[in-house]
Parts: sequence; C-alpha cells; structure tokens
Amino acid sequence: MLILTRKLGEAIRIGDNIRITVSDIKGKQIRIGIEAPDDLLVHREEVYTMIQEQNMKALQYAVEADQRLPDLWNKLVKHKEDGE
Amino acid sequence: MKISTSRFGDIPVDETRIIQMRGGILGFEHLKQYILLTQDEKTPFWWLQSTEDGAIAFVVINSFVVDPVYAPIITDNDVRLLEIASSEDVVSMSVVTIVADPLKITANMRAPIIINIKKKLAKQIVLQNNEYAVQYSLTDTASAMENDGVGDAGNLSNLKKVSTTLAL
Repeated sequence: MLILTRKLGEAIRIGDNIRITVSDIKGKQIRIGIEAPDDLLVHREEVYTMIQEQNMKALQYAVEADQRLPDLWNKLVKHKEDGE
Repeated sequence: MKISTSRFGDIPVDETRIIQMRGGILGFEHLKQYILLTQDEKTPFWWLQSTEDGAIAFVVINSFVVDPVYAPIITDNDVRLLEIASSEDVVSMSVVTIVADPLKITANMRAPIIINIKKKLAKQIVLQNNEYAVQYSLTDTASAMENDGVGDAGNLSNLKKVSTTLAL
C-alpha cells in the first residue's frame, strides 16, 4: 500500500479526475473531501460492505425462493389481516 | 434478442426495455444490463434480471409500495448521472431478501435501485438518509400494501404513478 503524509488542506490526486483533500482534523477523526467523476462510486467502507453483503444474501435466497414467492406473499398478507 | 436465464429459461428481450446500470449493483458492478420482469402479478414483487448473466436475478419491490412516504434524497451527481429531468421519470426499487419465514422478508430501503424509466438508466444508490434500514421488515408495511392493492403493482405506469413524490 502506498502511504503518503499530508497536512491539513493538502491534497492527493489519483489519475486525472480524482482529488482527495484533508479538509479537517479533530483528534482521531479526519474529514476527507473527495472530488471524483459522477459515475465513480464513493462509499464509507462499512456501508459499502453492508450493502454488498445484503445484495449477495438477497441473490442467494432468490435462487431458492423463486417458485415460492406467491405463497410467501399470501402468508404475509394473511398475517397482516389476522393482526388487525 | 434472446437471453438464457436460469429462472425463466430462454426468454425474448425487447432491447428497448434494457436498463443500463451506471455504477452497478454493489458486488455485481461488472453487470451493466438488466430487465424488469414480473413473474406473478398477484404479488408486488418484480425480478431484476441480468441480461448478461442468466444466473443473476434479484427480487425487487417498489420502495413506495413498502413505504408510501418514502423520500429518498439523491445527490446532484446522481441526478446528472441518471440524466433525471423530472421526478416522474423515476422509479425506486428495493432489493428484497426472501427468507423461508415470510414474516422475516426484508427490503433494502437504504440502498434502492433508482431507475430513470424514460432513459432506462439506473444505479443502486446508497442514500444519505440514515433513517432507512438495509433490512426493513415487510411486516411493518401493512396499511401501505393494502391501500395500493397487490394487483396495481402489475405494470410500470402504476409504478411511475406512485413514485411521483420522490424528492430530488
């Protein structure tokens, strides 16, 4: 991994279109400004991982579930009717 | 064109209905083209089927059917990326995680697949709205689904109609 030291307000460029700026430092927290093309995904890693894992899980269950969808739906609706 | 899918077999695909993913579905960024299919119109579930990999299909549900006051906030960058001119052109689909117990089925309200129906452009957008859950239980949405009627979700014009409250 490439490691660079930067001061507050200094920036790093990645390629032609990406600029990362250290915009604020408070104790152990650093605010980072990111300028990147619209089509480039920028996410906090834990959020990215969480969504990715949920997509994987959704796909895996979808494979097993396809014929049961109407049945599952009917049960869900029935549960609601019974609950009211 | 015709595609081979593991779920629906060989199906003809009207190329004008192909949705281009800009940014892709997280974890599946290499797949750029999908189509929306219905399997059973008595349920509000749709399939988002990859046209490039027949094995990849997600169950999705209109986010506004799940939550009629859903108000996703989309950044200017994404509005530009998806070439959105009017909120009426936009549909929000939440990826559904089906589990054996129907009471534990969830929809991802935090990272909906936002589709510009007019331009056929889409992206899974991780919303800035922290209040929306990645695993939102469908059992929490009783009144909404009864009002909208299960059958109403059967075509795209209805989906458009319920999506007009999208905050852009």
